Amino acid sequence: MFQSMNITASALTTQRLRMDVISSNMANVDTTRATFDDGEWQPYKRKSVVLETKGEGFSSFLNTAMNRDESVGNGVTVSSIIQDDETPGELLYDPDHPDANEDGYVELPNVDPLREMVDLMSATRSYEGNVTVFNANKSMMMSALQIGKS
Amino acid sequence: MNLFSGTISQLEQGLAYSSLNQKVIANNVANVDTPGYKSKDVNFERMLQDEIQMTSSSFQPSNPKHFEITPKQSTSGVHQRSFSVRENGNGVDMDREMANLATNQIYYDALIERLSGKFGSLNSVIQGG
Amino acid sequence: MSIQQINSIGMEQLRPSTTQPTNKISPYDAQQNFAEMLKESINGVNDAQIQSDNMTNKLINGENVELHDVMIASEKASISLSLTMEIRNKAVEAYQEIMRMPV
Repeated sequence: MFQSMNITASALTTQRLRMDVISSNMANVDTTRATFDDGEWQPYKRKSVVLETKGEGFSSFLNTAMNRDESVGNGVTVSSIIQDDETPGELLYDPDHPDANEDGYVELPNVDPLREMVDLMSATRSYEGNVTVFNANKSMMMSALQIGKS
Repeated sequence: MNLFSGTISQLEQGLAYSSLNQKVIANNVANVDTPGYKSKDVNFERMLQDEIQMTSSSFQPSNPKHFEITPKQSTSGVHQRSFSVRENGNGVDMDREMANLATNQIYYDALIERLSGKFGSLNSVIQGG
Repeated sequence: MSIQQINSIGMEQLRPSTTQPTNKISPYDAQQNFAEMLKESINGVNDAQIQSDNMTNKLINGENVELHDVMIASEKASISLSLTMEIRNKAVEAYQEIMRMPV
């Protein structure tokens, strides 16, 4: 009975985690000292989430193979949080900065605030959609409890 | 004496379809940002056909030591729409899912009302006489 | 004349024919049918109650059962029980009515 609620709950958790990653990116938009490796401070690199549909395990594959129909699936989950190490950050010319390299440039994090805001709006919209689904589900169950009560 | 055949059993089938549809919609909305996900929907006639097929076929194990396979009957009739609307391969149309959600909710509530009505009239017939 | 003709109409048609099988049920058979029906009904009620209890147990344990199925099963069990009780009441009433008849 609670399968539908579990599906929606997983989606809410996932969007919340995505929002947390976005806020972490936004908070660290100017952080030049994120990790200390090779004897040098590295700037913060943008993180993002990888979403994955949750299946129901072996029974769903068996069912699909036997019926040639899909199984419903069990919501969404974050399979990993990846860090974008390839995109270079912006270089700022500031020779007096303690983290400047030999040429006087400081490497800033590769976080683009505009892109983060767009992601934030998308996460918010998905979250609200899932809340609507949850409310609809709850109202259906409440009306099912009224069977035979008149 | 079968009090509950006819309309009441049809109402039960309708409710089964509606709750399966609710799960599918919830899953679609949950995966609105997952790359490569294509939205699914439930087809009522196909669900009824699949149920009839499944109850008539049985998987007999050839060796008594094998486990018996009993397929879950709760997900027949679900199939995937195969178009995608976004560049990350995702195929969920949020507005369409919201419309389906509202429709399904009203459908479910209507069936529950009718079912309550049928049970209520059975009750009043039995106790009023 | 006509009186003789009346005699010749064919009194066989007016005599009740004893060659057709009678469809009368003896009181014993009627009792057996009713007893069968009552027993069937009670078995049906028992099955419905057991089914409703199973569903409720599954609901309690959080297993994969739909809420509307549980409500429907419990309502069916309740209606079946009411029906059987009413049948029993009517049968008892009929019996008491008969016992009240002056001999």
